[in-house]
Amino acid sequence: MKKSTKERLKQNAPAVPILVYLILLVGIPLLLVVLLSFFSRDSLGNIVFELSFDNYKKMLDPVYLRVFFNSFILAILTGLISLIIGYPVAYFTAGLNRKSRSFLILLIMLPFWISSLLRTYGWTILLGKDGLINNALIFLRIIDKPLNLMYNFGTVLTGTVYMLIPYMIISIYNSVDKLDRSLLEASYDLGGSKLKTFFKITLPLTMPGIARGYTLVFIPALGLYYISDLLGGGNTMFLGNLINNMATRGRNKPLASAFAIGMILLVLLVLFIYSKVSKNSKESLL
Amino acid sequence: MKRIKTRRISAILVLAFVIIFLAACGNNKSKEESLNLMTWGGDFIPREIITEFEEETGIKVNLKEVTSNEDMQSLLEANPDQYDLAVLTDYMVDILRKNETIGVLDKDKIPNFSNINPVYQSKYYDENNEYSIPYAISTSLLLVNPSAVEELGADPIKGYGDLWQEELEDKVVIVDWSIEVIGVVLKALGYEYNESDPDILAEAREKLFELAPNIVRFETNTPEDSLINGEAVAGFMYSNQVVKGLAADENLEAVFPVEGMPIFIDSFVMSKEAPNSDNAYKFLDFVLRPEVAAKIADITNFTTANNAADEYLPEDYKNNPVLNIPDEVAANTSFYIDVASVLEDYDYIYSEFKNK
Repeated sequence: MKKSTKERLKQNAPAVPILVYLILLVGIPLLLVVLLSFFSRDSLGNIVFELSFDNYKKMLDPVYLRVFFNSFILAILTGLISLIIGYPVAYFTAGLNRKSRSFLILLIMLPFWISSLLRTYGWTILLGKDGLINNALIFLRIIDKPLNLMYNFGTVLTGTVYMLIPYMIISIYNSVDKLDRSLLEASYDLGGSKLKTFFKITLPLTMPGIARGYTLVFIPALGLYYISDLLGGGNTMFLGNLINNMATRGRNKPLASAFAIGMILLVLLVLFIYSKVSKNSKESLL
Repeated sequence: MKRIKTRRISAILVLAFVIIFLAACGNNKSKEESLNLMTWGGDFIPREIITEFEEETGIKVNLKEVTSNEDMQSLLEANPDQYDLAVLTDYMVDILRKNETIGVLDKDKIPNFSNINPVYQSKYYDENNEYSIPYAISTSLLLVNPSAVEELGADPIKGYGDLWQEELEDKVVIVDWSIEVIGVVLKALGYEYNESDPDILAEAREKLFELAPNIVRFETNTPEDSLINGEAVAGFMYSNQVVKGLAADENLEAVFPVEGMPIFIDSFVMSKEAPNSDNAYKFLDFVLRPEVAAKIADITNFTTANNAADEYLPEDYKNNPVLNIPDEVAANTSFYIDVASVLEDYDYIYSEFKNK
């Protein structure tokens, strides 16, 4: 039976406020960014309203493509490492009794209550020249000169993984939690080894959680510019840094907009892959 | 029945949303005398001074703290009738007067303007002192740990040129902005800031790339920390950061680069549509009082433009060459002019440099 348009409208009425909200505060600004990306600016930094593709041409310059590449690699690695560390944690947590489970989840969520900027500074206390790790190693006479632990790609990666791993753990946890354990028993009964059971049953069934976690980690990893500033010492330029700089001190909002659109396209690509992976699953994000 | 309920609830929700939205849009004007002030965060206009002004005049000061000149520009241009005064940097004064965002000041209403040091007047961004009143002066210079430099076997650091010594590998910290970093390179090569000649830029680009191995960290907010914790032995940073570094570690030394250094003059400007211009004039005259200016300089660690403030300044401030800039050093300073027109090229070179 087909519902009439009127009836459908009535049914969807409660969604109107949030729709209005989204159109006003997300849709329109996004449209402005798209428009802005086709304009340019004069020598005072004011916007000149002439349409051109110049900003997009500039984006295709090898120097800037390299920045896209850096960010892409950072986001991919952040996702991978979060997955490798996060999966066992999620799997283990889901297997516990209810009380310890909620306690562990609370521990995983706890850092979110503290400003992420502060937590990033925490890492400098750990890794700095005068930091805890260096001091401990010197005290134990393992090294005699402080090591350079800061200001490289690895430190930035550590920071982004640390910041985003809870998203990965929680998504995988949700999938593992829903896993029908009788399937595992069936596999064992039929002579499947633990390893085989994991790869043939557990992993495929938790794939949607992995894909969702990966997406939730990958996307913000593209934009956490303060981590590369604080932990990377500004030594590598990532998309977030570049766009932030262009939009503020660079006084070039049109070019920054074009780069932001480029970043959105990169995100859409990831979402597209995600939708392919989780196509046949019920617990999809989209 | 159920459907009617749903409809009613959604109608209420929509209505509530619209009301909240409209309430947020409207400006709640009160009759109370007030002044809307916008500037940098971090006690740039000390809270203490503002409270003193409020108590004396009964005018309520609404302070908006902003993190960049560009943010102040956007706010001023979007809502010119919501701000009275802003304190922003030299080049932005130039942009805002050309954009007609700020108005000409009535000097008759600011008798204390006569206290301002002529050295800091009539600059390129306001030749006739019509739009701006200098408030805080800062420079960028080198902070060095001379004994650590010697330990590394490098020559003493006297200017930018010395930062290229190969002994200083991974030992230099520098503020993170293309204009300033390339400015250091240009000065080291004997050129001026913000050169736009492609040949000079090509030369600067090459020289900049040679500096890369020596830089341990690009840091704009707390570069002095790298010298205090020993990560770096030399750094190029803002004068207030140098002052903090000197206070924290007696092994550190301020070095005025022989090639000259950049200067920044942060000035008061008034919005063209300032809603409380009379209160704004009262505030300007208040902060230009010698004793108030001296107090501000002491709290903020910036050089004051107020000549009359000298006799109220504490001894350690007067003896600090970074704050009380000697005349011969002041003569060897220059502004970053026409930033916006060279910025894209500079940022491009800078991105290339960072990706190496």
